Amino acid sequence: MDARKADRIATAVFWAIGIIALGILAFIVIEIFARGLITAVKPSFFAGKPQALKEGGGVGPMVVSTIYLVVLTMLISFPISVGAAIYLAEFAREGRFTRFIRFCLDSLGTVPSIVFAIFGMTLFLFYLNWRTCLLAGAITMALLNLPVFLRSAEEALRQVPLTYREASMSLGADRWTTVKKIVLPTAMPGIITGTILPLGRIMGESAVVIFTVGVFVRAIPLSPFDPAAPLAGYIWYVQSEAVVPDYRTIVNGGAAILLILLFLINFGTRRLSAYYSKKKSLGG
Amino acid sequence: MHENGYKFELEEMDLYYGDFKVLEDVNLEIKKCCITSIIGPSGCGKSSALRCLNRMNDLVDGARIEGSVVLDGEDIYDRNYSVVGLRKRVGMVFQKPNPFPKTIYDNVAFGPRLYGIRDRETLDGIVEESLKSAALFEEVKDKLRTSALALSGGQQQRLCIARVLAVQPEVILLDEPCSALDPIATQRIEDLLSDLKTRYTIVIVTHNMQQAARLSDYTAFFMIEEQGDPGKIVEYGDTNTIFTKPTDERTERYITGRFG
Ligand SMILES: Nc1ncnc2c1ncn2[C@@H]1O[C@H](COP(=O)(O)OP(=O)(O)OP(=O)(O)O)[C@@H](O)[C@H]1O
Ligand SMILES: [Mg+2]
Repeated sequence: MDARKADRIATAVFWAIGIIALGILAFIVIEIFARGLITAVKPSFFAGKPQALKEGGGVGPMVVSTIYLVVLTMLISFPISVGAAIYLAEFAREGRFTRFIRFCLDSLGTVPSIVFAIFGMTLFLFYLNWRTCLLAGAITMALLNLPVFLRSAEEALRQVPLTYREASMSLGADRWTTVKKIVLPTAMPGIITGTILPLGRIMGESAVVIFTVGVFVRAIPLSPFDPAAPLAGYIWYVQSEAVVPDYRTIVNGGAAILLILLFLINFGTRRLSAYYSKKKSLGG
Repeated sequence: MHENGYKFELEEMDLYYGDFKVLEDVNLEIKKCCITSIIGPSGCGKSSALRCLNRMNDLVDGARIEGSVVLDGEDIYDRNYSVVGLRKRVGMVFQKPNPFPKTIYDNVAFGPRLYGIRDRETLDGIVEESLKSAALFEEVKDKLRTSALALSGGQQQRLCIARVLAVQPEVILLDEPCSALDPIATQRIEDLLSDLKTRYTIVIVTHNMQQAARLSDYTAFFMIEEQGDPGKIVEYGDTNTIFTKPTDERTERYITGRFG
């Protein structure tokens, strides 16, 4: 088989894989929207109060719970992950210790979320005697996301050319100033893009939510110590308990809202990343 | 006060990267307000030697120096010597232009801000002055607030020189500053360096023999004997002498080889 033929076959295969991936994605989106979009866009649904027994309940508190959990997790996760990434990429000398840290992180990354969920439940509910709440979920979720997020942040930092660091240090800046003024702003768009995966994971994660945050609330949660019911957990709950007569409608509508939230967050993250790219090249 | 006309004095300096001896027995006196060029085949340690002068080698894991490097009478590798203070006095321009991904203004203002200058008018003045000294002001005066990455390679390199000038150094080290530039941009940098040498001590590493001959007052020729040996100075002296009647035949071979 000559090279050109091989090339053509490879091209065809890659196209096929791409089209299949796109097809599956399109199928999921269309399927979910076809079943749930009409419900999802009704204010009485997306902003309405849930019903425990009767039909016609909304998911207002659940939408708020989802966003609240995402924000809270990010507030915890971002400084820790980026801080650790800065340490690993900029300050740590490669050696036994960093290899050990990486080994731990990689191991942590392969742990299934249900194990994190059980860990979170044991720590917060049994050991610290908290009730299920947003903060317990957010901390557990931050741990769950730490390996992936840290890796992507470290990668973004390592993408910053060495020559920038050299230029800064040769002007008399110390390591920390160089990180603060040059490396971090340059890596920021990449770091932000790297939050997309963790963000999606937080929104879709149900095990941690079920074990540590809660699956049903009547009122919008206010404090981080309030119980809440993010959509992923609520959908699971409604589907599996099936107490309310219109549980199918709620599951479909909830799934559609979850998908819309995912799109919005994805879009917002990209905009933020683009904003930082622009800001970076224009200084500031 | 130390007054013998020398800015830098290197005495029996050895440089190691871990177990690897990169430079051996370097003795070099660099005269004030002159251009000194460092030439030699690839890998002989020219960049490493230059980086000893502002302690950029400190960034290399396992880098270690023996002997002494004296700036204005003080050993810069002394325990109590301030590296930040040293780098303020000894600026560096790199082989590939490396402006920060910031505006032209912020690039030049980076150093002064580092040293605590916040006042708007003072900064404006420094930026303008530095860009003028680097012969770049006229070209960029209307776009100081645009990205430095949009400049041409030659402009970027002059911006890097302006960035160094903005901290008012005494010495400027340049590591093959023109190797990524076309002949016209190169010419502009050379003219600029000739202008600057009245006020600054300049040390330049170059692969371009004509450039060393045209530009510099003194020339140091570095070489390694065999693969794995440390680099050494073969000959050092007046540029004219080195290029017209070198005493060492290896210098002659290198120079004439390069002239073709
Ligand atoms: N960071 C480093 N760590 C280990 N060895 C290094 C490092 N930088 C350079 N070296 C080695 O030191 C020797 C001298 O390198 P140096 O870059 O100083 O040479 P040079 O004369 O500038 O070469 P060129 O003309 O190609 O730029 C080389 O053998 C190189 O492999
Ligand atoms: Mg070099």
